[in-house]
Parts: sequence; C-alpha cells; structure tokens
Amino acid sequence: MIQNQVREVLAAHGRMAVDPREVDDRADLYQLGLTSHASVDLMLALEEAFDIEFPEEVLKKSTFESVHNIAQVIESLVKSSV
Amino acid sequence: MRQQPRRPEESTSVNSLAIAAITAKTMTLPDGIDGHQVRVGCDVLAIQDVADSVATFGDRYLRKVFTSGEIDDCQGHYFHGLAARFAAKEAVIKAFADPDMPFPLREIEITRDGPLPRLRLSGSVAERARRQGWLSSSVSLSHADCHAMAVVVVICKQGAR
Repeated sequence: MIQNQVREVLAAHGRMAVDPREVDDRADLYQLGLTSHASVDLMLALEEAFDIEFPEEVLKKSTFESVHNIAQVIESLVKSSV
Repeated sequence: MRQQPRRPEESTSVNSLAIAAITAKTMTLPDGIDGHQVRVGCDVLAIQDVADSVATFGDRYLRKVFTSGEIDDCQGHYFHGLAARFAAKEAVIKAFADPDMPFPLREIEITRDGPLPRLRLSGSVAERARRQGWLSSSVSLSHADCHAMAVVVVICKQGAR
C-alpha cells in the first residue's frame, strides 16, 4: 500500500518530531515538524522508492502537507508512467 | 531629484491614515503606500541538514535545488553558502504568499555579480512575480557555524495579485 511506503520514507527522511507511522493520514505534516528542506529530501527519497519523478507542477507545499496528499500524487504519477 | 507631486486621491489616503494614527488608540498599519506594496520573506536552516542531503542524495539533490552558478559561488564555504541560498529561496517563496503555487527551486537563483547578492527569477516563478507586480528586491544572507539565514524584501505594485 502506497501510504505505508510513504510513512516509511517519511520516517527515514522527514526529520519530524513524531513517528510518521503513527499519524493520521490527513494530519498536517508541517505542523508535526516537516520543514521545507526536509520535504526536498522526502521528494528525492520518494522518487527512488517509487521510481518516479515529481514534475514541476506538483512541487508545492500542499503536495507534501499530509500522507494522504503525498500518496495521491504518487498514485497518479505511477499510473501515468505505466 | 525633484519629487513628483502626489495625485489628490493618494494625498487624501495618506492624510487619512496619519489622522487615524493620531486619533485611534490602536491601528492596523497599511501594507502599502504611494501605490507600492512591500513583501518580506525570511528563512533559517541548519547547515548540517544541507551537508546530510548532499551526503545522502549527492548530485540529485544539488541539481534539483541549485543552479551551476550558485554551486560555483559557494566554493570555499560550500555547505554554509548552499544553506544560505536555500534559505533565500524559501524566503522568496514566503514573499509570494501563495501556498498553492509550484516552486521549482532552480527558478529562484541567488547571484553574486557584485558585492551584494542579487535575486534572479526565471520560468514560471518569474511569470508569477510579474503578475504580482514585483518591481525590485533586496536579499541579505548570513550564517553562523551551525545555521544560515536569509531575508528578502520585495517592492511591488499595490493591488497586483
């Protein structure tokens, strides 16, 4: 499941104040300690994990705001790459 | 240089604000004056975070975030310089005050043509700045051993979005 993989990558690269494996999928990750710089690391790690590339149009704050948002964007990128 | 006389409606507006400031116990300051608006952004970043990203992601990180000119400008104070430039890019994003706008980080470039850092925008970010009426900017970078920071001040046309 994409959301579980996202949580694992967040745990490794998100530098968050809480364990992202235990947060609600709609929780605001920025409120939980995700910084703009850590979101760049997160994006690079997600690109490796899912073998995708984030296009410029999704490089905005709302993309990385929650596990749900991240998973949605990844799902659409994976579908479009098939 | 002689100052241009204010148009009557601008003079009235400024006078009204001055009177309001004198008579009211509290006041909300205007975000612009004489047809211009000031936007400010700032950011601070741990230098070790940048060093860790370079160690983990190498060229992929550098190519995603910085232009080749920015990387060249940081020789001699590598991680401190990169961290200050990342902070400046984030400060610019904050000055836009538009969370739904995509921000390709390489389209926000800090250049070092003279003694002071300058802001150079390109692509969709430059287009957005034009739409917001950005006219001029000033950038300040700083760092200590552990953190880097940046402040960006932008003057734009009032009323542009």
